[in-house]
Amino acid sequence: MNKLLLVVERDVRLFFQYKFLIIMRAIWFVSQIALFGLIASRMISVQAVPDYFRYYVGGLSVMTLYSAAIFIGFDIYEEAEHGVFEYLLSLPVSRRQLVLGRSIGGGLRSFIYVGPLIAISLYVMGSVNPLAFLVSLLALFLFSFGVSGMSITIAVIIKSSDRFDIFMGVLDALVVRLSTAMYPLAVVQAANPLYGGITNFNPLTYAADLFRWGTGIESIITLSNPLLPLVGIIAFFALFTFVGVVLYDRRIEGGGWQ
Amino acid sequence: MENLTKKFGNLAAVDHLNLEVEEGEILGLLGPNGAGKTTCILMLATVIRPTEGTAYVGEYDIRKQPDKVRGLLGIAFQEPKMLWVSTPWDIVNWHAKVCGLSTAERKQRVKEVLDAVEMWEPRRKNVHQLSGGMRKRVEMAKILIQRPKIAIVDEPTSQIDVVGKHKIWNMLLELREEGTTIILATNELYEADELSDRVGILHKGKLLVCDTPKKLKDSIVGGDIIDIQLEKEAPPRIIKELKGLKEIADITQFKPTNLRLYLNKVEEIVPQIMNLFTKREVPIVSIRMSEPSLDDVFAHYTGLTIEEAQKDQE
Repeated sequence: MNKLLLVVERDVRLFFQYKFLIIMRAIWFVSQIALFGLIASRMISVQAVPDYFRYYVGGLSVMTLYSAAIFIGFDIYEEAEHGVFEYLLSLPVSRRQLVLGRSIGGGLRSFIYVGPLIAISLYVMGSVNPLAFLVSLLALFLFSFGVSGMSITIAVIIKSSDRFDIFMGVLDALVVRLSTAMYPLAVVQAANPLYGGITNFNPLTYAADLFRWGTGIESIITLSNPLLPLVGIIAFFALFTFVGVVLYDRRIEGGGWQ
Repeated sequence: MENLTKKFGNLAAVDHLNLEVEEGEILGLLGPNGAGKTTCILMLATVIRPTEGTAYVGEYDIRKQPDKVRGLLGIAFQEPKMLWVSTPWDIVNWHAKVCGLSTAERKQRVKEVLDAVEMWEPRRKNVHQLSGGMRKRVEMAKILIQRPKIAIVDEPTSQIDVVGKHKIWNMLLELREEGTTIILATNELYEADELSDRVGILHKGKLLVCDTPKKLKDSIVGGDIIDIQLEKEAPPRIIKELKGLKEIADITQFKPTNLRLYLNKVEEIVPQIMNLFTKREVPIVSIRMSEPSLDDVFAHYTGLTIEEAQKDQE
């Protein structure tokens, strides 16, 4: 357990050494709210979303969490490039501890990073139901672990930083656009029922819906029962944190990475 | 190591290696780049899995009990393994934590070790601000703070200046004094000769020979050379008597007054040779002895110098 925490600690510390990246992402986040959110909300006025600005800010928080948690996959390539991967594999830490630690570390650090940004979102969005907010925070916590585990799993399977970069770019486009991060499910379904079907089973949808529910935005017409997205998030977390860990373990053990 | 083998496709990077490392010794693995040293080390560290055969580290099988094996080992890689945003302090401190040092011991030892490798002053600098030699010293610091039962060091002094080399050699010797068994992979002949209790010569993935540096040198028949310059012409009788000594493999007479003797165990035979010349009243003007180097040993077993072998691998 102690070694697991040390692996988590390492990943969290490491992330916060990329100061330039952190500052730039924070600037990006604030400009998305202050520029895109503010301007775009003026041209979007539909019955489904009476206040698009607040709707967008909620979705943006979850999108930012998603992209921060993905970052662990890039770390794996950088470590491979610098040979740090071999160093980690030679340490007196079991493979399970290493992989689980990295998955948790990747999720935790993105959660810590996005924390202040979520605080900005809350300030912008206003009212909060404390209990619902705690539930949605827990969901975001699990979501970030799941995304981190997914990123590690994909990185280990693809084994090429260029391909990973391109793949994650495409995946990001699909996952974000086929989710309720930027528009409600009803709008997606109206555009194309197939899109709506996919959006309905997207972990980003679950996270965005739960966060909006937790922050008390009434416009989340998609969320009739918060339990369903919560179960979806738990399933996503379980799949990529535990099943992903096993896959990763098998891939890297004995030099499979090479 | 029992038939330890690693193949990459059809290429056997390590080919049925059988070798026993004795507790408390420094075993040098000598060979050019591409000889299989690093692959062998990575298998021992359980970073890569053997294609065939196995090895036991302590009582643990690298295939069956890799977690236990890693508990006994510490490894300093050929290329320092560190991210550029990290600092020496972060690297060594975290390494100490993960290797199980208590908080009190760690606080004390991190400073001691970073001081020892002269990295305390720049401990907060990012890795990208450090020179190659400084990075190498940080890599060594990980081993020093860990004090593992078995330390594996892969080309610890490559790209290091002469002063730095001696510092690292002293560190390795101190580590051995503290009871650590050391496997030293190197392509530097002098380093292997100076530090190793035994040297294993690897070439194209195979272990050609393993013994003490002295025995390896003695294994070359006529490997020692003595050049003798005489005051007057060497009488044929003396040459005949010299040839009668079993340690002397061959004699070449360049000039009437200059002899070159090819022999073994030079330190044992020199007194006899001196006595012979004194007895026959042939004064010696000068005498120069040279021992074979590990390069000669390498050439003896492979037919190539280590530089030629290096080019051959490339």
